[in-house]
Amino acid sequence: MEYIYHVAVLFCLYAILATSFNLLVGFAGLFALSHAALYAIGAYTTAILTTTLGLPFPVPLIASILFAALLSIVIAVPALRVSGHYLVIVSLALQVIVLQVIVNWKSLTGGTDGISGVPTYSFGSFALDTPARFLIAAMLGLAACYWVAWRLTRSPFGRALRAMRENESAAQSVGLDILYMKVSVFAISAGLAAVAGSLFARYFSYVGADSFSINETIYILAMVILGGTGNLRGAVLGAAILVVLPELLKFLPMPVDIADKMRLIIYGCVLMAVLVFRPQGLLPELRGKKAMFVQTDAERDEADTAKLLDGETGATSETVLEGRNLCKRFGGITAISDFSIALRSHRITGLIGPNGAGKTTAFNLLTGFLKPTDGQIDLRGKSILGKKPHHLVASGVARSFQDLRLFTNMTVIENVVVALPNQAGHRISNLFLKPLTVRAQERENTALAMQILRFVELDGKAHETAADLSYAEEKLLVVARLLATGAEVLLFDEPMSGLDQTTLREILPVLRRLAERGKAICIIEHNLDVITGICDEVFFLDEGRTMAVGSPAELMSDPELAERYFK
Amino acid sequence: MDLFLQLLANGLINGSHYALLGLGFGLIFSTTRIVHFAYGPIVTFAAYTAWLISGSMGLPLIVGIAGAVLVAALLGTGSYLTLYRALERNGAPPLIPLIASLGLTIVLENLVGVLFGTGVRTLDVDSSVHFLGPVFFTSIHVWQVVSFVVIAVALGAFLRRTRYGRAILAMTDDPEMARVIGIDTLKVSIIVFALGSAISAVPAVMVLLKDGASTHMGFAAVFMGFVAVIVGGVGSLRGAIAGGYLVGLVESLGLWQIPTEWQGSISFVVLFLMIMLRPQGLFSMARK
Amino acid sequence: MTQPILETRGLVAGYGKKQAIHGIDLSLTKGETLLVLGHNGAGKTTLMRAIFGLNAPMAGTVHYATRDITGRNPAINVAEGIAFVPQGHGIFPSLTVRDNLELGAFVEPSSERARKHLEDVYDMFPILKDRAGQVAGTFSGGQKQMLAIGMALMHGPSVLILDEPSIGLAPNLVGRVMESIAEIKARFDASIVIVEQNIKYSLPIADRVMVLKTGGVVYAGDPEPLHDHAKLIEFF
Repeated sequence: MEYIYHVAVLFCLYAILATSFNLLVGFAGLFALSHAALYAIGAYTTAILTTTLGLPFPVPLIASILFAALLSIVIAVPALRVSGHYLVIVSLALQVIVLQVIVNWKSLTGGTDGISGVPTYSFGSFALDTPARFLIAAMLGLAACYWVAWRLTRSPFGRALRAMRENESAAQSVGLDILYMKVSVFAISAGLAAVAGSLFARYFSYVGADSFSINETIYILAMVILGGTGNLRGAVLGAAILVVLPELLKFLPMPVDIADKMRLIIYGCVLMAVLVFRPQGLLPELRGKKAMFVQTDAERDEADTAKLLDGETGATSETVLEGRNLCKRFGGITAISDFSIALRSHRITGLIGPNGAGKTTAFNLLTGFLKPTDGQIDLRGKSILGKKPHHLVASGVARSFQDLRLFTNMTVIENVVVALPNQAGHRISNLFLKPLTVRAQERENTALAMQILRFVELDGKAHETAADLSYAEEKLLVVARLLATGAEVLLFDEPMSGLDQTTLREILPVLRRLAERGKAICIIEHNLDVITGICDEVFFLDEGRTMAVGSPAELMSDPELAERYFK
Repeated sequence: MDLFLQLLANGLINGSHYALLGLGFGLIFSTTRIVHFAYGPIVTFAAYTAWLISGSMGLPLIVGIAGAVLVAALLGTGSYLTLYRALERNGAPPLIPLIASLGLTIVLENLVGVLFGTGVRTLDVDSSVHFLGPVFFTSIHVWQVVSFVVIAVALGAFLRRTRYGRAILAMTDDPEMARVIGIDTLKVSIIVFALGSAISAVPAVMVLLKDGASTHMGFAAVFMGFVAVIVGGVGSLRGAIAGGYLVGLVESLGLWQIPTEWQGSISFVVLFLMIMLRPQGLFSMARK
Repeated sequence: MTQPILETRGLVAGYGKKQAIHGIDLSLTKGETLLVLGHNGAGKTTLMRAIFGLNAPMAGTVHYATRDITGRNPAINVAEGIAFVPQGHGIFPSLTVRDNLELGAFVEPSSERARKHLEDVYDMFPILKDRAGQVAGTFSGGQKQMLAIGMALMHGPSVLILDEPSIGLAPNLVGRVMESIAEIKARFDASIVIVEQNIKYSLPIADRVMVLKTGGVVYAGDPEPLHDHAKLIEFF
């Protein structure tokens, strides 16, 4: 019986680890494989504080959480600079370095001997000194950690994390603060892992570096991938299977050290098999209506979309965003020089010109994705030079990308909701301190998103996954997502390319209607039908310079420009 | 001064070892863009195979080396055909092969333990000590340097002079363009997995002769291979060689100032700093 | 009317699940130069990649010399005489010019014929001979394009597909590249499909023109009418 309680305690520890790792790997898409090192930090901090200083519960636990969270920021630094393979390898290296420090700092950590004699929890005369009793603490720990993870992921913040995972630059382009999200998800994931570490030290009353090797990180990773990345219950299920499954080996006659190896071989095989045969895991990420965390009835509520869809200037047309004498050089190459443009409300401005003319560079400069080498950019008369893209979105300048960059593994409505401005639920503190405000706002936002989808006529597909849309629908979703930012100045990079004539005729009026409602719109386009059809003013760029500015008709009738365009 | 010369020599000897590991790993990585982490336990497998043949069965060392090379090549090709190829066919994102490779790593590493036992396995060979002025080294050290030089020259000739050697260079440069001119990229991938793994068997045997084989030796091997490639710049085998030597020298000369127990960490710190500061490598050509 | 050497019927292709071209009929007669025009995103590159086998078509067929080659491995297409020069310098930048050219003959089983092709290519682009040992990545844009075309000729193709050979080149070089392409037809007896945005220089070397717009064909026929700008504005 004791044995079953023991396995149950182990399950709780690993379920905490898998849940916290899932936040990082599954939701945020950050494959930073140094989780066992953070687990170790939690365990050692508790062990040291209880054995040398004799501090009472809950001080060591809190210290473990804080210390691991602090250290995780060191790991977050590489994650801000590198991604993909490099992040995996650099985090594995960090894991090795942390363990080396633990082993070599003998005076504090006992070196290879580890630290023994860690006292278990005791409350008065009631000590949690058997697996059955300890299970209470372990289950409480798991429940608390799961609740934190659940609160985080079933929230606007969790949705923003997934958006960042899908496409970082697109997440920035809808106003999300990448730095804040990465650092905080690292810290929370580490803090939760430290809870498991602290429990570990108390339960075994011993900590040694062997328990926190890279194999341990891979073991936890296998749980997350088997259960399903981006699904909270999945990670817990993965932990349950991978804790219990190898225990069955105990019924087979084989020496202990061989059984231990077989256990690891099973983990490795499970990891590979899942990746090949069921990469989404046993419980895939929630999709469709289940992805929403407020009642979908809310969609029927009327929402006031005016503040998102209307410009701010009323009926008159005035200059909103102005770039003057902008210049950008990359090394020795001048991408654009002496570019001046004024985007006015109620107007659609077109940028045309051959490939390499500098059109997309102009967009990148106006939206903060690139810093100009020279020149000035003003938004309503105030300089916005050097501001980050997500700040600019908040101030009212948003852009789309030529290659769309949708959040493809999220639903259509999620793509729109995530872009809505001023969400209280994007701050972690609000999730825990003002849950009701967050919920009420989320209900409003869902309704708002539905209205925007209705505006582009995609409301029928609200709960479909963006990856399953047709090309034309994707383009409409790009428009919807950009509208959701509520920005006054909207810059579209080739919104029509690749569309057939019929769809084109559907999208053009949408842009026209937006201009009528007072937005300042700028589009890059190659299709001359589009340019003549909707633009009020056209800039012709070539070789980084503005060759001509005028109405579409003026430009088309200029033989010299036609010569240049059809060179 | 004598100490400096000795550390310099050690650095060059270890550098040859790392450069060889970097060549094998880099050949696979730069051609297929797969981070073949299981390269590590395949090194371990090769070392234990050589021990089994030449130590346990008592056959000549050259047979042991041949066996190690064969086993490594088979395991390398096997990992590509069974695991990575399946992932490529599924259209898995680029990170997935690396994650799957971590799974393969713990499988192979523990399989070594099950098949050969966990203890350190050593092979006694006649190793004499030589002196060159104040610097001392053993015959195994000489073999390490010589084997590196021979393999590097042979690999260079293979890549430059043969049809499939050039196909490898072409695929390294641009996999899609390789398809455009009619190269069968599947065949080339199989060749580099076989060749890269076969190369890794040689440093594996050297570790067996020098320090003995242990189940964890592969982890250090793949990391050193990776460090050499990163330091040198991905896609350049010459860079991997330079990277290997640089790491060998930094690690060895670092001992002047750093206590020995930290020697193992130096390369990880170098890797960390490299990726953070100059992920494109020290020697990579500036190109788009 | 002779049998076309290359023909597509109702070809539909794209990326992932997304269609970029919606049922295109193209035919190339032996000895002809077909110019495919269209604005950015009109589907020109998708069409060429689908013909060559780099993207599997979703529907429709591709015939080469009366045989169905729809979705076939490009390695076989190359071996049987179709050459493709992809957009943006189809070369290996870190290898030498000579290595690049020899790789162009990768599928050529006869080393004698490969030598002959090399001579022909050197003859046509003497600069490649003069700079045979230079690393190709250090070439200028125009030289890279000549090398890319030279590589494609190394296995003696009967159909040569060029995807925007003028992209990123200075105007005087564009003219030079187009002249070379016109010369290929005479020297190498190849039929040519050329995808372009640069109309001024490409129109004179075309026997026939096809204009794509939003993934469909809006014009197919004589080059003549396209000399008129008004007509062009309508098509773009």
